[in-house]
Amino acid sequence: MEGSSYQIDLGNLMAYDSNHHFQSVPSSRVELVKHCLEKGTEMVQAIADSLFSLPSTESRDGPVVKLPAPTTKLPREKHLPKPKPPTKWETFAKMKGIKKRKKNKRVWDEQTSSWKRTHGYDRANDDRDIPILDAKSTDEVGVDPFAKRNAEKKERVKKQEKNRLDNLKKAAKAGALPSHIQLAATALPITGTKKDVPKKASKDELESVAGMAATSTASGGKFDKKLPGEKPPKHSGKHRKFLPVVEGKGIGSKEKQQTEKILNQLLSKSSHEILDVNKAVTMFNVKKEKQRKRDKDANPGKSGKLKPNKKSFKKTSTKKKN
Amino acid sequence: MRPLDEKETTLVFEKLFKFVGPNLKHIIERPAVEGPDPGGYCFRLHKNRVYYASESLVRRATSIARPKLVSLGLPIGKITKSGQFRLTIHSLDLLAAHARNKIWLKPAAEMTFLYGNSVTKSMLARITENTKAGDGVVVLSMSDLSLGFGVAARSTQDCRKAETNAVVVHHQADNGEYLRNEEEL
Repeated sequence: MEGSSYQIDLGNLMAYDSNHHFQSVPSSRVELVKHCLEKGTEMVQAIADSLFSLPSTESRDGPVVKLPAPTTKLPREKHLPKPKPPTKWETFAKMKGIKKRKKNKRVWDEQTSSWKRTHGYDRANDDRDIPILDAKSTDEVGVDPFAKRNAEKKERVKKQEKNRLDNLKKAAKAGALPSHIQLAATALPITGTKKDVPKKASKDELESVAGMAATSTASGGKFDKKLPGEKPPKHSGKHRKFLPVVEGKGIGSKEKQQTEKILNQLLSKSSHEILDVNKAVTMFNVKKEKQRKRDKDANPGKSGKLKPNKKSFKKTSTKKKN
Repeated sequence: MRPLDEKETTLVFEKLFKFVGPNLKHIIERPAVEGPDPGGYCFRLHKNRVYYASESLVRRATSIARPKLVSLGLPIGKITKSGQFRLTIHSLDLLAAHARNKIWLKPAAEMTFLYGNSVTKSMLARITENTKAGDGVVVLSMSDLSLGFGVAARSTQDCRKAETNAVVVHHQADNGEYLRNEEEL
């Protein structure tokens, strides 16, 4: 839709001015911002004008307008799909020149004389529906031909699955994996980081989760049928051990140990309070005094303090003579 | 009924230590006299109450079913829902026998204490030396009859300096509780 001078794309609610250029380079960032805001306001006004020109329907919240399809082409979000490498069968068919043939949806079934589908449930000419198998000369005695047929079929199915996976791997190597398989493959995220991918649970995690789920049953998981090889759940809750009420004649050795331990801890913690320092000091001094007194009584002559001064008053010849 | 585990034992012992101090050893290692082949005394927990009973009594009590067992020996206290241990009035005998700090009340003041009030300085007649604030004290009358127990609010020195209305001992349990709180005990 052409506006006054703008190209308006209502589908994207976008207005584009192809003739815009700055008259003069604005001097500062503030001016630039102001200029841009003015221009933007004009263009939003143009979008609003064209919106109101559209036919509107009445709804509960007011007039509702259905936007037309967007006209601007946006670039591609994801890359173009890469050409995938041919599968094993395709290469073989190309080599041999085998062309694809159109198959009918319904085929005539001889056994039941009816039209049955070609593939799938209740199909025509199914191998398993044959009740009697003629014994061939190559068959051994004692081998069940029906079982043999089933086993062969299983083998074929397994082989086919292997081939399919191999083809996918080849395609993945070339980067051309079909998108639904790409989505399913958890190790290869298309968008987002590897952290968004849920990690495979480890053995311990699975065991613990299985244990938790088991304990949430009514009987705590005790009578659940266990798979072969599943270990009984480890009791992972808080384990509170209690001493036995009565061991032997009354107190058991463990309880005695425990009480002793706690008693010793308590006493040692408060040993500074038990010892009254002042009292201890006085007691020590008194003891020492007593000891001294006893010593004095035992050896009266040896006390140094009470010895009389043995000074001689005689005038001796040691006096210096001039 | 089960023995106390380590945490509970520490709680009980610490509380008792506040009142009896090193005499705690005597409480724990007291030789019993009753019953055939008496051993010592032990603590047992039953329905959040801690009981102090002789070993032979405990042994005989194991034959009573748990919901039918009401009490066993001496119920010294209970462990509250928040994990604290509180001494109840029943432990008074045990505490009075081994207490370190005692306080004697004047005859006029006995009744107020028995009604559940704290001890003020005016009620105080005697107090042991070396009582520190926060110590457990046993409250006695002048005739040496134990009335209850509590926690000292001040040390002995501070008691002398305090005014007459100052609280000296915070009340914790008294003999009047046997009448007042008959259902709870």
